[in-house]
Amino acid sequence: MTRFFYDKRVREIFWQVALLLALVVITVVFVRNASQNMVNAGMASGFDFLWRTSGIDVPFVLTNYTPDKNILALLWVGVVNTLVITFVSVIAATLLGFVIGVARLSPNKLLSGLAGAFIEFVRNIPLLFFVLFWYFGVIAALPGPRQSIGIFSVAYLNNRGLTIPVPTDGSAFKIAGLIVLAGLIVQVGIAIWAKRRRDATGAIFPVWATGLALLIGLPAIAFGIATALSPWDVPALRGFNFRGGFVLVPEFVALFLALTTYTAGFIAEIVRGGIQSVVKGQWEAAYALGLRPNRALNLVVIPQAMRVMIPPLTSQYLNVLKNSSFGAAIAFPELVSVFVGSALTNTGQAIEIIAITLAIYLAIGLAVSAFMNWYNAKVALVTR
Amino acid sequence: MTDTAAPVTPASGPPAMPPFLRRLREDYASTPINAVVSLLCIAAIIAIAVPLIRWTIIDANFAGTTRADCTGGGACWVFIKARFGQFMYGLYPPTERWRVDAAGILLIVTVAASFWKAMPRRALAVPLLWLFALIIGAWLLAGGFGLVRVETRQWGGLMLTVFLSVYAGVLAVPLGILLALGRQSQLPVIRLVATIFIEFWRGVPIITVIFLASLLLPLVMPAGWDIDRLVRALVGLAFVIAAYMAEAVRGGLQAIPKGQSEAAVAGGLGYWQTTGLIVLPQALRIAMPAMTNEFIALIKNTSLVSIVSIFDLLGIAQASLADPNWVGMNKEAYFFAGAVYWIICFGLSRWAKRLETARKTTH
Repeated sequence: MTRFFYDKRVREIFWQVALLLALVVITVVFVRNASQNMVNAGMASGFDFLWRTSGIDVPFVLTNYTPDKNILALLWVGVVNTLVITFVSVIAATLLGFVIGVARLSPNKLLSGLAGAFIEFVRNIPLLFFVLFWYFGVIAALPGPRQSIGIFSVAYLNNRGLTIPVPTDGSAFKIAGLIVLAGLIVQVGIAIWAKRRRDATGAIFPVWATGLALLIGLPAIAFGIATALSPWDVPALRGFNFRGGFVLVPEFVALFLALTTYTAGFIAEIVRGGIQSVVKGQWEAAYALGLRPNRALNLVVIPQAMRVMIPPLTSQYLNVLKNSSFGAAIAFPELVSVFVGSALTNTGQAIEIIAITLAIYLAIGLAVSAFMNWYNAKVALVTR
Repeated sequence: MTDTAAPVTPASGPPAMPPFLRRLREDYASTPINAVVSLLCIAAIIAIAVPLIRWTIIDANFAGTTRADCTGGGACWVFIKARFGQFMYGLYPPTERWRVDAAGILLIVTVAASFWKAMPRRALAVPLLWLFALIIGAWLLAGGFGLVRVETRQWGGLMLTVFLSVYAGVLAVPLGILLALGRQSQLPVIRLVATIFIEFWRGVPIITVIFLASLLLPLVMPAGWDIDRLVRALVGLAFVIAAYMAEAVRGGLQAIPKGQSEAAVAGGLGYWQTTGLIVLPQALRIAMPAMTNEFIALIKNTSLVSIVSIFDLLGIAQASLADPNWVGMNKEAYFFAGAVYWIICFGLSRWAKRLETARKTTH
């Protein structure tokens, strides 16, 4: 008998079965307790509430939602707002982070010192502090609409948010967007073709030139023409407030500024680490092989720096997605705020609502990390 | 190679500069662009530092007891002085605050003892010491057994931030180690369960976890069981941090060459002996900086409990702004709370960096 139990395989199976059994028992106990408690408290269950009229007024809507739509539409408002704030913050934080990360490596000690001070400042204070600070400390202290801070006389910043001009007819922008997308596809095609040709014949095609034209020139021209052709709704002061334009609510501006500055501090450190990880010998070896500086940078240094930077950048982008939920602290209507906040108060169906919310975050997160893993596998070092 | 570099003597051109000026010029004005950058940086430093120093020190008010004593244009530190007790202890009864201080001293002693290298049977003694300290600490703070009970409702301020960080952190370390080992396990079921657990908690925002814990934990408990609000938040935080700690520990485990565990097995050690005596001691030393960084993230994230009306340092600073006797103290409250967080987190991150460089130089 003892011999039987000392068999490695028997023990392995025993521990795994024990773990599974424990999990099953815990689940069963929890579910039984929950259903008993819900019956006692007279709580409803099921997902029917999603089709009920929401009746919740949301201050920042980018979909066609109105309070007489159902709760599913309200959920969609939250998802869209979460994705929008995440997207704009990721772009802004990446740009700011790269600038600060490069500044940190500057030989000028004043510049690198300033960058270092910024990095150490934002990294060691809670994000919630920055959200509250921008919202209650800065935006609330801005002047009222009549004394707004004008930005090139088209956008106005005041304590009711940032009023920006919007085109009244977006069709020109839709066409421009399609043109840019087509340009992107053509550029990817050219890049693949050029790499194949280089591998086969050694001839180098100036991919960067078509890239410059298709990815920067084409969008600039397309959006420039669209801007000129579209009728614009420019905000103007009428009485005590602005008419026209689109108001980015103060919550949006505060959350955007907080997420951008906070994340930029982390991205700057990633960029610094990535560039420093490429040893000097790589540059020297590239020069020794006769590569010119720009080619050494493109073919030798950047691919290696990216390899180091991609995994931590991915987790920073996912952090921005998760951290957008800090909007709930200042009632910016993102997913947690509208769904776990408002919808839960109205319906009381805690289990379903929290389950849906968690599932959405996990689904978006998995999609992003699947994409970044695919990209990472592409740029990863092939070891033998 | 022959040394052909002759000492450079300026034959013509500007007269020789003193060495410190030359170094200054090389560092900050080597090219015109560099000089412009330096000037811009100096301008930025002046633009930030001068108003900051004026506000915090020169124009600030330090003396007095009420709002009326703040006459200068700078910060009103009188407010912080009047509120200091609340910022530190929340609504903890003033006559019982010595207990919080005692718990704080106990924490410092325990941390210090953990780094006493000569402690006999250190690997066993340190965990036992922490267990003992946590139990005594909880007794001091909550009361009972001869002490006056203090409801967790009355806890708050920095004391609550430290409490949540320490207890969630200490719960998360063993759980995280087990999860990391599970994820590296050869047994498919254990590996799958650990992986799902880690990825689930890492994939969701901490706010939703705090909601999850405070709304659903009472629901899945047998009827009549009431879990304290603070304990719910603590459990939620501990699970999330355990998942992050697990990834930090996994980094350490992966850095240990396979030969180490193979040699241990060849020497006749079983799984737990191999892991506990050979692999983990090395892996944890490597994972220590990453684990410290996760702990810093935990300290910062405890501020989220204010969303379920538990007032930690930041929450109490925010709540103090509603006091009608102290209108318009936003800047002072945020400055103070931010400075305390910054000092704690910056200190810990320096320490983590020192651990890292110490490890790199010893290898």
